[in-house]
Amino acid sequence: MTLAVTGIAVALPGAADARALLQPVRPGADPVDPAALIGKKGLRFKDRATQLGLALAQAALTDAGIWRDGEPTVPGDRLGTVVSSNLGNADTVCRAVETIAKESTGALSPMDTPNASSNIIASQTAIRYGLRGPNLTVCNGRTSGLDALRWAALMLRTGRADHMLVTGVEPDNEVTRRLVDGPVADGGAALVLSRHATTRAKALLGPVIRTARHVDTAEELTRRAPGGDLWLSADDQPVPGSARRIALTGWGELSGALGVVQCAGAVGWFAQGRSGPVYALAGSAGAVLFAPERAV
Amino acid sequence: MTYPILGTGAVASIGADPDEIFDSLCAGRSGLAPLRAFDRSRFNAQQLFEIDDRQTDGVDEPGRAGRLLVEAVRQAVLDAGLSEDLAEIPVLVGTGLRELRSLELWWRDGIPFDADGLHFEDVLKRRFGAVDTHTFAGACSASLYALALVWDMLELGEAETVVVAGCDVVTESMFGQADRVQFDPPSSVRPFDKDRQGTILGEGAAAIVLSRSVPPDRPVRGWLRSVAVNCDAHHQTAPDAAGVESAILLAQEQAGVTPAEIDLVMLHGTGTPLNDRTEAAVTARVFDGHGPALTGIKSLTGHTSGSAGLLSLIMALRCLDQGVVPPVAGLVDPLPEGAGLRLVAGESLLAPLGLAQVNSFGFGGVNAVAIVGGAA
Repeated sequence: MTLAVTGIAVALPGAADARALLQPVRPGADPVDPAALIGKKGLRFKDRATQLGLALAQAALTDAGIWRDGEPTVPGDRLGTVVSSNLGNADTVCRAVETIAKESTGALSPMDTPNASSNIIASQTAIRYGLRGPNLTVCNGRTSGLDALRWAALMLRTGRADHMLVTGVEPDNEVTRRLVDGPVADGGAALVLSRHATTRAKALLGPVIRTARHVDTAEELTRRAPGGDLWLSADDQPVPGSARRIALTGWGELSGALGVVQCAGAVGWFAQGRSGPVYALAGSAGAVLFAPERAV
Repeated sequence: MTYPILGTGAVASIGADPDEIFDSLCAGRSGLAPLRAFDRSRFNAQQLFEIDDRQTDGVDEPGRAGRLLVEAVRQAVLDAGLSEDLAEIPVLVGTGLRELRSLELWWRDGIPFDADGLHFEDVLKRRFGAVDTHTFAGACSASLYALALVWDMLELGEAETVVVAGCDVVTESMFGQADRVQFDPPSSVRPFDKDRQGTILGEGAAAIVLSRSVPPDRPVRGWLRSVAVNCDAHHQTAPDAAGVESAILLAQEQAGVTPAEIDLVMLHGTGTPLNDRTEAAVTARVFDGHGPALTGIKSLTGHTSGSAGLLSLIMALRCLDQGVVPPVAGLVDPLPEGAGLRLVAGESLLAPLGLAQVNSFGFGGVNAVAIVGGAA
């Protein structure tokens, strides 16, 4: 079964669509403003990662044609989501433990209760957009974004859903910066993966794999899909010397968002008329994306 | 398809392996105790179902969730007759709270920690040489959700053998947020009782080994018939009867069984007013007069968050294996929605059992329901 990327969304400072990922990062760009994208309603008391995730979800679902005029165009029980975020609620957790140490639980805000659960982005996304199918949150380190794609693909192939929204998002704040020891990309990307390649296909999903070492993963990707044009990889070591590589490191640490942002980069690449396979590498996980023309 | 369960492993406040935990359930032994390492002056509630494994009494330490996970996986792998080298075997872990307790200790007390410590890749690689490891943070149904993915992997032939696990220790942030909104903390967990007052968190880890086929001369611990997953898409903390019901019906449909064929339901049963009311009403509707035995484990283990589903499943397998269903401890007067249901109370039920349904629901309306068969 060929699975297709049928919707895409990007929300990073200075990059609002897939093609922008292939351009140099604009220094000093404003942070993404979720309220400006989807309105203020329903964003109050949500943490930053959830707000960004909700904005990305709406854009990707709309792009895929399965969200229109405020409702889904297909049955909600056939729509699922996989969210990848490692750092999403770290600030809520750290602020809570700090407040308890300084005062007591009486000083906590009850509004933070849902945010203490690490699946808050996925569950809020489901509630807002009526996604009643599988609802999964991947917190698996640097491979998370590509892992999320793998699990979405698996559940589509076994028929648990017809469309899976895959979101990768991370927030920038004092806690996350200290955790990764550097700046964190404040945003991410989302895509819709669908069972049926339609005219909306923006890319086709090739193998998604994992091996013990990134060099082995890179080798396996080129073996399974030779002749690729582009590598999306923060690391240059596993990438063949002559190959074109885009690192996507300019926004800070993408962490759990990385793999999904890489897929969005591939979609941007194909949108420029390129047709060879694109390889994504995140840690020891890898994926191949094909241009949509192969569908016909 | 139906896949054999080749090994099980678990730790909880009431036992260091599945046998001990099951014996405690039958004997009514509870793991509830005064807070072991949190500053008691900061909380209204003073009790949890913690595992007493800290090196120094009263002093918290990082990495406990990973340590419990490793122990449960070690047991399951041993029980399945596998070597401890898991380089070729995927390990999927469902957890509510990951290593967020370690994150708290880092932020508050300055213990060494970084982002890679939030998930379980490093501990599983160090101990078992595992490469294809996955951490899912899926609230309280996380480990059964992970089991659904394992079923899918086996179904598509993506793996021959898989380890699936769940683990959780209590975080101060989750305990504290619950404490903030629970002015009168419950003194015990009493699922399905009309006087139940809420849930109390617990700690635990559980793991099972599944395979596409039974190796020659290996005993089987049970059979996985199906796992259904969905989302209420309704409310962040409150369950929705429609979502819960459709997950149960889907699990039965995927397993190809009718309600009348199910002998035992291991309930999610958290002891909160809302969960138990919803779960009882849906159970009464789905089974409509067919009376499977109903029980649950959380009055004695506490709500062990993401590990709860798989722990319930392992206990369901024990029930099937031994023909014994331990009672819901603390259940005296069933809630009105439970009238007519065969809730096991007071003492263990002895009966031959073939098929069990295991319920697991989580914050955000993430529902997972599994159907398992006994080894026989």
